[in-house]
Amino acid sequence: MRPVRYIILLLLLGYNTLQAQDLTPQQRFEKANALYQQNKYTEAAGMYQQLINEGYPLEDLYFNAGNAYYKSNRTGQAIYNYEKALQLNPYNESVTHNLDLANQRVQGFTDELPLLFFQRWWQQWEHLHTPNGWAVGSLVLFWLLIGGVLAYLLAARFNNRIVRMGVSVIGVVFVAYLFMAIFTYSSLHNHHTGIVMNSGIKAKAAPDQNGKDLFELNEGMKVQVLDATADYCKVQLADGKTGWIACDEVKRL
Amino acid sequence: MVCQVKIRKCALSLFFCLGVIACASAQEFRFTTNVSSTRVAQDEPFQIQFMLENASNVASFTPPAFTDFEVMQGPSQVQGQSIYNGRRSEYIALIYVLQPKRPGNFTLSGATARVNGNVVHSNPVTIEVIKSVNHNAAPPQTPTQQPPGFQPSHRGPDEDVAEGILRKGEDVDAKLRKNIFLKVDVDKTNLYEGEQLTATYKLYTRLPTNSSVTRVPAFKGFSAKDIELPNPPQATTERINGQLFKVFTIRKTLLFPLQSGNLELDPVEVDNQVRLVKLSHDNRKRSRDPFEDIFNDPGFKDPFNDPFFDDFFNRPEVSYEDVPYKIQSAPVKITVKPLPVDTRPPSYNGAVGHFNMSATIDKTTLTTDDALTLKVNISGQGNVNLLNQPKVEIPGSFEKYDPKVTDNIEKNSNPLSGSRQFEFALMPLEAGDQTIAPVEFSYFDPVAHAYKTIKSQAFNIKVTPGKQNKRDKEDFSVDKNVLIPVHLAPQRWSKDAGFLLGSVWYYLLLLVPIIALIAGILYRRRQHYQQNNAALLKHRYANKAALKRLELAARYLKEGKDRAFYEETSRAVWGYLSHKLEIPFADLNKQLVQNKLAGRRINGDNTLQLFDLLDNCEMALYAPAQSNDKMQGTYQQAVKVISQLEEQLKTKQQVV
Repeated sequence: MRPVRYIILLLLLGYNTLQAQDLTPQQRFEKANALYQQNKYTEAAGMYQQLINEGYPLEDLYFNAGNAYYKSNRTGQAIYNYEKALQLNPYNESVTHNLDLANQRVQGFTDELPLLFFQRWWQQWEHLHTPNGWAVGSLVLFWLLIGGVLAYLLAARFNNRIVRMGVSVIGVVFVAYLFMAIFTYSSLHNHHTGIVMNSGIKAKAAPDQNGKDLFELNEGMKVQVLDATADYCKVQLADGKTGWIACDEVKRL
Repeated sequence: MVCQVKIRKCALSLFFCLGVIACASAQEFRFTTNVSSTRVAQDEPFQIQFMLENASNVASFTPPAFTDFEVMQGPSQVQGQSIYNGRRSEYIALIYVLQPKRPGNFTLSGATARVNGNVVHSNPVTIEVIKSVNHNAAPPQTPTQQPPGFQPSHRGPDEDVAEGILRKGEDVDAKLRKNIFLKVDVDKTNLYEGEQLTATYKLYTRLPTNSSVTRVPAFKGFSAKDIELPNPPQATTERINGQLFKVFTIRKTLLFPLQSGNLELDPVEVDNQVRLVKLSHDNRKRSRDPFEDIFNDPGFKDPFNDPFFDDFFNRPEVSYEDVPYKIQSAPVKITVKPLPVDTRPPSYNGAVGHFNMSATIDKTTLTTDDALTLKVNISGQGNVNLLNQPKVEIPGSFEKYDPKVTDNIEKNSNPLSGSRQFEFALMPLEAGDQTIAPVEFSYFDPVAHAYKTIKSQAFNIKVTPGKQNKRDKEDFSVDKNVLIPVHLAPQRWSKDAGFLLGSVWYYLLLLVPIIALIAGILYRRRQHYQQNNAALLKHRYANKAALKRLELAARYLKEGKDRAFYEETSRAVWGYLSHKLEIPFADLNKQLVQNKLAGRRINGDNTLQLFDLLDNCEMALYAPAQSNDKMQGTYQQAVKVISQLEEQLKTKQQVV
């Protein structure tokens, strides 16, 4: 009986997804936007989320999903999506604005310190290209570098100082691009920040259920994950407080 | 005799009595014993009265045995009806006047009567008889105090007037203690947390007194709700040990214990100014006074407190004394049981009593511009004034505000009853079909010792989009507190291709130029190698090449092609020189060859022979003088010269 029920369920799910996939992503996006404008926020959020789950990493998609979650009172999800959008483009003012609004709903929210000037420069430099842009750039430069070296070596015509200088410049730029490609790749893969998804979570002094309660975490708080065991994560708030909470409560960015 | 008169009276006014009986039968039957004073002097007569109220069909009456008393008068029977406090009652009273025989405490057991076929007893009375101090003073008082035919039963409250007289030799403190006291009535002493308890503080007095409450109880650990009392306070009467007391209710409070454990009701403190009348020694004169009857006439209310009487009758024989007397009630211990924990439903939040709950919404269809009102009304008996708001699960798609609480508590209700209404205003944020979960309310029923839960039905609400939308759209300015709406621009729907850096392609594409580079380097090396080795090989194989050419020349010689022969020979020699001396073919000339050979210290014969041979060849080419012998000789010479040169170059090189 049970397997049969599961099969029916699977079939139904399959049917639904098939139906959904008849539409192009753009059509579904527009449908979700329409739902949002009809104030059916929960449904709209569901559709946006489906698109996100299918792997479309779009700034506006995250932004709209954040709005829909915000309107349906799911602050944690809203903040998560806004943060995702900011990861793609930290200079999106609409996202920053709405994120600020959403943060107002977070109980006990403490603002992060503003970045110092060199951190801002570094951030700008980091976002000069997308991670893949850096990788492509490093590839192109590598080809150029090798081409130059070959020309220098094989053709007596290019066997001069100018070509040698050019090749070494390309070499330096290539190293920079390669470094940035690796840096952005790793910074997007470390997931050291996360958003708390439920309210009233007690941060413990030790990674187990019987630990002493230190402070309370609420839905939508952004935390740094410093350390983790199988079930517990050591998190740090923007104001520097640290404590252990169950890893399930934090959705990593 | 009296009875007969009465019967005749009844017969005469039969129709009148019928109505009365109908009325009286509805009244409560009481059989009581009253005494005019429970503390009497040895030779002081006093009155004892057995009252049958609302008794119908009295068959027999037996008074108690008056063994320690002397019956001075009676029994006299009084029958009548009265309307008192709006209550009509009929009574039969049997009155004896007794005089104690000796001092001591005596208990008169109640009288026995047969009423409606049932044997009933009146309450026993204890009389304290003291030794008379002044034999003259007491006896004359009796007739004035209890004149024959006096009906004390229903004028009972006014009896205390008599107590207001301080007799000679009476102890003031003892008298006060006996006649004024406070009592706390509680309807229960063992109850549940939150259950109602009614506490009544009462002042009992038989003396004229001016009392003020100086300390009111604080009711620590309770939530108190006072019942409003009439102002000025109205007295009721209560009979204690056969004596009628005026009872004033000081405070009546509904209490709800807020904690479990042993709690105590604080005492109340009352300051009394008791006005006592002191009789002068010469009160025989006073008692004879016709005014005394008027003065003590029970028809007058509290005549001692009347200033008019004070002034008018302030005669030297009587003096007044205001005695201050402070009294305190005894503290009352209350045991409060905690509510059971294990069966407590999750929705329970403190209600104890018996309640009903109703939840209603004002509309089921609305737009997102409208507000919805959810009214939860809890009514019933119990701690209505302490009701907390019931848990209402509002979906996230509604904005919920704090409820408006309206109380409708019945004034002076006991047990406390009424209703409390919670009005939740809800703003729909989202269009669509919404469901509000059923409202749940639990209370503890102290009678059933169990929790009870009431659940409303769920509410289905249809929310349609309102005009709010439009307003949002028109507003282009970014308010600090307004959410920037969704972006509608078409998107480029490319799936996340993953990270190039993490894919194989990246490394393959990196590998390709590296391979190209390696290939280039290898190529360059080979080229270099080849460039270097060509000359060496030519040098090494110069002899062979020359000999091959000479072989060709030999064939030409045999065939007699003299021109070709010389050409070939010349080429062989020159080629040999070119390769061996590493002179490019174009640069070859005799001088250079000679210099080169000289450089290698090859001089003399060989060089001469070589040039001789070259000259021969050139001559033969440009001035042909064909002779087979010469050709044969040239060939021989060429072979010889090349061989010799080869030999010499080898040896010379080795020398170098």
